[in-house]
Amino acid sequence: MTFARSLTHRGRVIAFARTLRHTLAIVALAAASTSSYGQPVQFTPDEVARIVSHGPWPPKPVRDPSNRASGNADAIAFGERLFFDTRLSSNGLVSCARCHQPGKFFTDGHARSIGLAPGDRNAPTIVDLSGRRWYGWDGAHDSIWSQSIRPLLDAREMGMTPATVAAVIRREHDFACRYRMAFRKPPPENDQQVLVDVGKALAAFQETLVSERTPFDAFRDALDRGDQAAMANYPEAAKRGLRIFVGRANCSACHVGPAFTNGEFHDVGIGFFASPGKVDPGRHAGIARLKANPYNLLGHFSDDPSRSSATSTRHVTHEHRNFGEFRVPSLRNVAGTAPYMHDGSLKSLRDVVRHYSELNEERLHVHGERILKPLHLDNAEFADLVAFLESLGSGVSAFRLAQRSRPVCDGP
Amino acid sequence: MTVFVRGAIVLVGAGGLAIAGGAMACGSDTPTPKRTVESPRYVVAWQTLPAPPVVGEHFVVDMVVCPKPGAKRPSSVRIDAQMPDHRHGMNYRPSVTAAGGDRYRAQGLMFHMPGRWVIEIELSDGVVTDRFPTEMVVK
Repeated sequence: MTFARSLTHRGRVIAFARTLRHTLAIVALAAASTSSYGQPVQFTPDEVARIVSHGPWPPKPVRDPSNRASGNADAIAFGERLFFDTRLSSNGLVSCARCHQPGKFFTDGHARSIGLAPGDRNAPTIVDLSGRRWYGWDGAHDSIWSQSIRPLLDAREMGMTPATVAAVIRREHDFACRYRMAFRKPPPENDQQVLVDVGKALAAFQETLVSERTPFDAFRDALDRGDQAAMANYPEAAKRGLRIFVGRANCSACHVGPAFTNGEFHDVGIGFFASPGKVDPGRHAGIARLKANPYNLLGHFSDDPSRSSATSTRHVTHEHRNFGEFRVPSLRNVAGTAPYMHDGSLKSLRDVVRHYSELNEERLHVHGERILKPLHLDNAEFADLVAFLESLGSGVSAFRLAQRSRPVCDGP
Repeated sequence: MTVFVRGAIVLVGAGGLAIAGGAMACGSDTPTPKRTVESPRYVVAWQTLPAPPVVGEHFVVDMVVCPKPGAKRPSSVRIDAQMPDHRHGMNYRPSVTAAGGDRYRAQGLMFHMPGRWVIEIELSDGVVTDRFPTEMVVK
């Protein structure tokens, strides 16, 4: 009890110290920053709390309990090999890296991706995937390994089957060798198990793709510790844009936390039609596919015996309002991942800001987010918000990929 | 028949539980922080784990449901939450399981956006339903 009281008292002292530090930080910002109108940028205590909630970065690595290959160095190396190899496509010409290119933050720069045939959606970045609940624009998958299986089997992407994937892994010496190293056994006779293990190796590799710290992270940490000199390094325009982001634009209602996403799905007024006469139902169809998927976290391919990692899958609701909803993307490195939205319909970051500034409320269906209103940004606000979003990038033009896998497999 | 009880929340300190209108000690042995609500038939002490809930992360609600004299133990215990200002609820349907005696545990809740939520516990004995809405502002 005494210890508990001591902890409580210590907690209050820490809380007071943090409040004092934040207050000093606010005063410092007020003194050091000026807006485009010559007025000091003054973050309120509530704004400071919101800003600080977008960190720290990077997050601590977490292992996926549903994937026994998660964090396994041999599985990561195997997954890296698989990711860049075209032998896992039906025509031998398409790899995962075709649509997820390291030089473009693991996107492809196209509005809609082209595998074996043109698709309906934009290729999202696969950086910072670890620890999320849902994968894909419609969240039809609840693990990285399950999501990684989908393009292998999609006729428009890589066009394989469980049998053809398993045959390639068994037949190709380097794949079979790396499989044995990663899973401590030869590829089994069960084609589906080989397919799932390929997905798990691909997932183990993708879990290692974590974005670098950004100018925003440096500012956020400086604000948290009250470091006025470090705070001064953050551009004034980005500070003003940040204030809009956490303030009147209320972007942080959905772009929550260190990853700038709540991991859920919303209708933000993008058109429903993938092509004339063809509707993309988004989350509504995604939940149906999730529940029917034998590779979901409630199925027997999960390595989590407690199924504690399946809480979201077990409880997710399927409602009419899910129609036209798409996943809230992370905003980290957002300036390097154009074009934008699930259908790639917005070409630039400025187009995205313009979308929200001039939001057509008529495009939101009846269940759309009530809080979405046109922002009506003036030119200065527009530029400031873009400046802030650009500060969520590390400043490098491409993701730096550490080469981990050895060129020749020398395992058992 | 439905009984609505709105808003009357008693935050309980470490020393025990004081219920308006009686000297009951519903859930007094559970850890704090804790909230209590009551209707003419029930007192409910409940808490979230973690407290407060974190935006975008699942949380648990532990409940102790204490029938007042003359009231039957509820045959059904449910919980849900809405975000009235946004015109939607949660994206997840919680499950409630009996945890022994008057205790219940709800799993699978998630506040996926910051702001004002109304979390509602619903007790029914098969004839009468009591609802206990409570506002929570999540940051």
